[in-house]
Amino acid sequence: MSKNKGECDGWMLDGINRIGMHEWEVPVGYVAGMRVPGRFFLSESLGKTLEPGAVQQLANVATLPGILKNSLAMPDIHWGYGFPIGGVAAFSIDEGIISPGGVGFDINCGVRLLATPLLHKDVAGRRDLIDELFRMVPTGVGAKSALKVSHHVLEGMMVKGAQWAVKAGYGVDRDLSRCEEGGFMKDADSQAVSAKAKQRGIPQGGTLGSGNHFLEIQVVREIFDPGAAKAFGLTLGQVCCMIHCGSRGLGHQVCTDHLKELESATKKYHITIPDRQLACAPITSPEGRSYFGAMAAASNYAWANRQMISHTTRQVLSKMFGIEYEDMPLIYDVAHNVAKMEEHVLDGKRVKVCVHRKGATRAFGPGTRDLPPDLTSFGQPVIIPGSMGTSSFVLHGTQVAMDRTFGSTCHGAGRIMSRTQAKKTLSGREITANLLKDGIIVRAHSENAIADEAPNVYKPSDEVVNVVHEVGISRLVARLSPLGVIKG
Amino acid sequence: MRMSFEEISHTADVKIRVHAPTLEALFSETFKALMEVMYGPHRTGDILRVIRIESSDNESLLADFLSEVLFISEVEGLVFSEACIRIDGLCLTADITGELFNPARHSGGSEVKGISYSGLAVTHDTNGYMLDIIFDV
Repeated sequence: MSKNKGECDGWMLDGINRIGMHEWEVPVGYVAGMRVPGRFFLSESLGKTLEPGAVQQLANVATLPGILKNSLAMPDIHWGYGFPIGGVAAFSIDEGIISPGGVGFDINCGVRLLATPLLHKDVAGRRDLIDELFRMVPTGVGAKSALKVSHHVLEGMMVKGAQWAVKAGYGVDRDLSRCEEGGFMKDADSQAVSAKAKQRGIPQGGTLGSGNHFLEIQVVREIFDPGAAKAFGLTLGQVCCMIHCGSRGLGHQVCTDHLKELESATKKYHITIPDRQLACAPITSPEGRSYFGAMAAASNYAWANRQMISHTTRQVLSKMFGIEYEDMPLIYDVAHNVAKMEEHVLDGKRVKVCVHRKGATRAFGPGTRDLPPDLTSFGQPVIIPGSMGTSSFVLHGTQVAMDRTFGSTCHGAGRIMSRTQAKKTLSGREITANLLKDGIIVRAHSENAIADEAPNVYKPSDEVVNVVHEVGISRLVARLSPLGVIKG
Repeated sequence: MRMSFEEISHTADVKIRVHAPTLEALFSETFKALMEVMYGPHRTGDILRVIRIESSDNESLLADFLSEVLFISEVEGLVFSEACIRIDGLCLTADITGELFNPARHSGGSEVKGISYSGLAVTHDTNGYMLDIIFDV
């Protein structure tokens, strides 16, 4: 592909310009009030999946005060609410805003990968393993935890996140060095979390939730970067466990509560927004600080939650296969719905900015702070889940991402089919049978939950990661394929 | 005018279009749509909860009402079936009835994380009221 800057392609939406291989610009003026251009990454083969509504949302974000460089979207871009899914935007601390529309209801929805010493042959066809994980990890609508979470415990989860969980016995110290932010955001303010949100959080510690959340047993099928794979702890044929979930009802309520407060703040600070879901406040305002503190507390709850689910998973694997808890190290844990205060280089100067990632993953490059010493020369591990029947990937962060996307990359495959359409065209029973033919065991509380998340409702995950790899905002390390999955 | 709600295509989430002759009926149908998305069609019961909400406009009134339904449903483990709604200006009172969550009958839906304001607009013409609303699932 060798198109020049500004040149259009027949398959792309009108008004959008190609500026590089897989890179597109939404010019200022695409919607009224844009302060900076929009930029997104997409290959021609993924082009047919691009929805006009998603581009409109990308452009809407570019109208927000204090936005820096570009409103960005990754190749898993799709139509959401507020920001598009796959959206990234950084804001000036002094002049910029913070918005729940750039984070979403499921604050710190994220994904982690646990390694095991098991090989494919050890777990192939082991329905009893999937059944036991399904029995032990609460999943689905209405699921409640068997764990007793007191108000004191909840406070620990909100303030110290995964660090609280490890101290409480739900993991080992090394886990924390393998979590983004060390497993907790230090600016959490549990006082900014409402009593309602806390009430929702108490019964749900250690639960997976529903929708696209899952726990999956996978096998490493391909290594692209042997050096990075070795440093991360991945080997060919190794069995791993991927966990995808977020902050549950506590996070949902934090978003609901603060969205309402920020609606008033939007008017108070005379901010014009093109979509009510982009309600926002200056980062330094009392309303902005309150949202950030509550969002950080919900993020910490999510890290604690994933840590607790990891603990249950390790206990199941330990009991069934006689392996040691410590022999199941955490490869890494990433957040993909979050706003963070981070330092980035702008015009040659290192400055603190507020980065929103809504369905996007941090992908810090080599030498970046917040990486453990043994990973610093490789960059941050990036965990990208596929759909039930398709591959997941491990990549590493890059300097290109630091330079161009505020250290960000894609977060997953990205939906292309609505749930309505999925239910009309695919039966949960047929999907389960087809996956079983490929050696993949699926457990869920309902057939609808399986039909909703069938492999073909998502963009092909390999095409999405190929784009970020070729653009260079993260680079492929390993491919994993599913052996068994429990669905939320 | 016949009351109705229908799910219309939305890639990431659930988008519902509702028609109703009155504002109260519009809210009631949207409430039923929310419960059906979450718990499926097999809902009944007579456990009563009363919700009182005051908001700044009709859209906020609806979003706040549905958010309160989500909260009660989750913390009390209740699945609601009917709503009797009274609206006076921008004040809403709703008597909602339902039953305890039963995994055998209520596990077929999708957990709704929140009520989105994106594209939410209550419109009114000679045929009655209409809205589109997105539930984050």
